[in-house]
Parts: sequence; structure tokens; C-alpha cells
Amino acid sequence: MVWLDLLLNALAAGILLGGFYAAVSLGIALAFGLLDIVNIAHPVFVMLGSYVAYGMNARFGFDPILTGLLFTPVFYALGVLLYRVYYVSFERKGAESLRGLVFFFGVLFIVEVSLLLAFGVDYRMVEARYIGETFQIGPVGIAFRLLVPCVVGVALTGALYLFLSRTFYGRAIQAVAQDSFALRLMGANPFRVKGIAFGLAIATAALAGALLIMIGPVEPAMNREYIGRVFAVAVLGGMGSIGGTLVAAIIVGVAESLTSTFYGPSWGVAVSFGVLLLALAVRPSGLFGR
Amino acid sequence: MANRLVVRNVEAGYGAVRVLHGVSIEVNDGETVVLLGTNGNGKSTLINCVMGVVRPERGEIYLERDGQRIDLVGRTPEEIVHLGVTLVPEGRRLFPKLTVEENLLLGAFRADARRDIAKNLEFCFEAFPVLRERKRQLAGSMSGGEQQMLAIGRALMATPAILLVDEPSVGLAPVLVSRVIAKIRELKERYHLTVLMAEQNFNQAVKIADRGYVIVHGQIAFEGRTKDLTEHELVKKFYLGV
Repeated sequence: MVWLDLLLNALAAGILLGGFYAAVSLGIALAFGLLDIVNIAHPVFVMLGSYVAYGMNARFGFDPILTGLLFTPVFYALGVLLYRVYYVSFERKGAESLRGLVFFFGVLFIVEVSLLLAFGVDYRMVEARYIGETFQIGPVGIAFRLLVPCVVGVALTGALYLFLSRTFYGRAIQAVAQDSFALRLMGANPFRVKGIAFGLAIATAALAGALLIMIGPVEPAMNREYIGRVFAVAVLGGMGSIGGTLVAAIIVGVAESLTSTFYGPSWGVAVSFGVLLLALAVRPSGLFGR
Repeated sequence: MANRLVVRNVEAGYGAVRVLHGVSIEVNDGETVVLLGTNGNGKSTLINCVMGVVRPERGEIYLERDGQRIDLVGRTPEEIVHLGVTLVPEGRRLFPKLTVEENLLLGAFRADARRDIAKNLEFCFEAFPVLRERKRQLAGSMSGGEQQMLAIGRALMATPAILLVDEPSVGLAPVLVSRVIAKIRELKERYHLTVLMAEQNFNQAVKIADRGYVIVHGQIAFEGRTKDLTEHELVKKFYLGV
């Protein structure tokens, strides 16, 4: 039963990949889903996270996940700074829609080219003892290079979910795009709330980047193939729903894994766009949209 | 904690348009004061001045808390909320895609209110039982009357020292207006709230007011106890159509 083994393996790999996709997409769920900021530069910050993990690993032998965790405060600060620039230059003037998009496109280019200049076009990877390990459950092989990112991705999703639903700032983040004036009447400063949310969005990229380079070697232009994917996941999940993002990420992961197993890997990227179109046509508010 | 709100000789407007011409009002501790006036006379502008949304060109607005004076002019709305002045805004301004409970919890964002959350939540559910039944429902999916109850509940979650209510009757069916007004009276009587309410529905507003001001073209045309208000010529002319 080769066919059944293939199917089971593809399903398992898809679910594991989905946990990782959730980690990459959470920043979009926050920025695009909850703040209405079309941050198409998010995947390039994930790449930045990958190269930080690479640098710390090649130079000091740091574990990529440890690096990812260590650098979340740095990325958070970067995100807060980026939001301030965006706010002063665009949002405050009410010019955020198109010019904001162009701004983030520019950020994408600058970061990508900087990474190219610093590291070149060669593929880079990290080394850690557990990355190459695999174990078998019956016919299904579980690779650690997929399992660890999945576990971390799910944990990150859980942490963000708890933060957004249980804390005062979390609830303020959920409310800020709905009525920022009313939020001021609650005693919360919308500019600050959005800065925190955008900082968190970029902070998730530090960890997601460490996971990305664990799954396979990276090169700077790889962020492009993630742009469509993360937006597909965020929209399918239901704009800003954190639980929905995880479910949508697993759906996209399984769909991609099945197509690349049975029809060839080159179809992989088309799948996420297919899912996005389907979601927009059938259920534009997403699976868990409010 | 005794709180008193004082507005003295406030002049304010938008750009070249002057809306308030030297308005003075006072709200004493435990009092319910209504600010009466038809549309376009400056009620909301005055409320917005108190909340720090509009900055007066001249005049003073301050709180007296246990004899101590706290100036409000020049503070941001967030700071004023943190001082314990909360507003139920015109048009309710709920967060439509959050649940009733999430809306209420956001009302308790003010640092001083956070330790009273359990007590205040119980208080809101007791005052407005419908909110308890619907606590998992999205605020935007409720009826106008229920939304107004939620807006008041959300403001009460902040443990307000002074509660401002801007036009609670707008957009509500008459029967619901009566119900909302009755609720505000019940709250005031049971919990010793200090309330300033802007309203154009005279007959409803006087049911709960201790005192009232009539504002016409940005000036206080008349002030007095509720009983005097109903007998005043100007009020009869403007509101009662006598």
C-alpha cells in the first residue's frame, strides 16, 4: 500500500508544516487582521529572523530557537519603531491605504537587498543536533526539523491567544481598529496600543525566522513566496482570529503537502492562492471571522 | 471621595466657528444635572470640552476632589478618564465585533478600576440582567436599547467619580428611552452617582434631574431646580410647545 503510506506521510507533514505556517502568519493576523496595516514586508522580517539565527548559530553555536527567543525584544522594538514611522508619515495623514502599501514594499526591498549584500545569494542553514532526527509512528515518519517548528508555532499561537483575550492591552488591541475614539474614552491611547500590537507582530517574525531556517536552507528572496501564503492564511482564518489563523495554516499546510506529494512540488505555491480565492469567493469573512 | 465638576466661563469652537460663549456650570457630589438644548446649541461641544476632546480657547474646567483642585483643560481624554471622569458617548460607540463581556472589560481599562472588576461586573449584570444573558454575544448584533445599556454598563466598569452621558435617547424608540432613563435614575439612587447628562428630550430628562441648565446658542439661558425648569417660560416655549 504505497499510496496509503504516501497519503499518511503527506498528511502528517502537512499538519506539521501548518503549525509552522501559523507562526509565520500570526504577524499578519495582528497587523492586517486587527490593525488594518497591510504589512507586506512581514515575510522579509521572517527572513531577517532566519539570518539572525544563522549568524548566531554559525558564529557562537547558538540553538536557533534560543536565538529566536533572545531576539524577540529586539524585533519588538524594531516593530514599534516601524509603526511610529508609518504613523507619522501615513496613518496620521489618512494616506495609509496606497502609500502605506508602497512604504512596506520599500521596506521589503531594503531589508531584502541588505540581506543579499551581507550574506549573498547562497543558501544558508543552521546546525543543531536534533534537526536531522526522525522517528516512526507505524508507516509515518516524523522529522524533527518539522516537528519542532510545529510545536513552537502552536505554543506561540497559544501565547498570543492568551495575551489578546486575557489582558487589558490584548483586548485594547482587538478593539483599536473598530473605534479608536471609543478606545480613548476607555483610557487607552490608540497610538500606543497599535505600537504594541505591531511590535508584537514583528517580534513573532524573529521566532518564525528561526523556525524557517530549521526546516530548510534559506536565501534572501525566499520571502516572496511567503507573501501570498501568509495573507491567504490570515484571510482564511478570519482576519485577526488567532485560533482561526492556526486552523487556516494547517489547512493550507495539508493542501500544499498533498499537492506536492501527488502532483509535484511546483504546484505548492499555487495552492495557497487557490485557497485564498476560494475563501474570498465562498466565505469572505474567513472561517472564524467575527 | 467627594467630587465636584466645575466649568467656568468656557469659550470654545471649531476653527473660526465659536460654539460656546462663556458657559459656566457646576455638578456637585451626588447630583444629577441635565444639560438641555436642541441640536446645534453646544451640548456635545461642552461635554467634549470636559473630556479633553475639544480644547477650550478660554475658561476653566476642573474637578474638586476632597477640596483639592484638579485642572482638566490641556489634558488628553485618556488622562481625564484616568482621573475618574467617564463618558457614555453619543451614538454609544461600542466595539461591535467584540462580545458584550469584552466591551465591559475594556471599560475597566483605567488602572484604578482594575481591582474592582469582579464587583463592577456583578453590579452591571445586576443592573442590566440582559447583559448577563448576552455576555457572549457580539455587541453589534444587539438592539439599540440593549446597546445603550451596554454603553452605560461599560462606562460604569471604570468606577466613575463623575459620569457624563451624551444624548442617551438618540436613535432609540420612545419606549426604550423611558426604560434607559429609568435605569439611569435607579443607578443614581442606589449608588450615589454624580451624573452630567446632555439631552434634548426634556420630558424624559427632567424625570431624573436634580437640577438643569438650558443652553441656547452656546450660552446658558436658564438654570435651576427641576421644578423651576418645568415652569419656566423659555422652557415652555422651546420644549413644551405651550
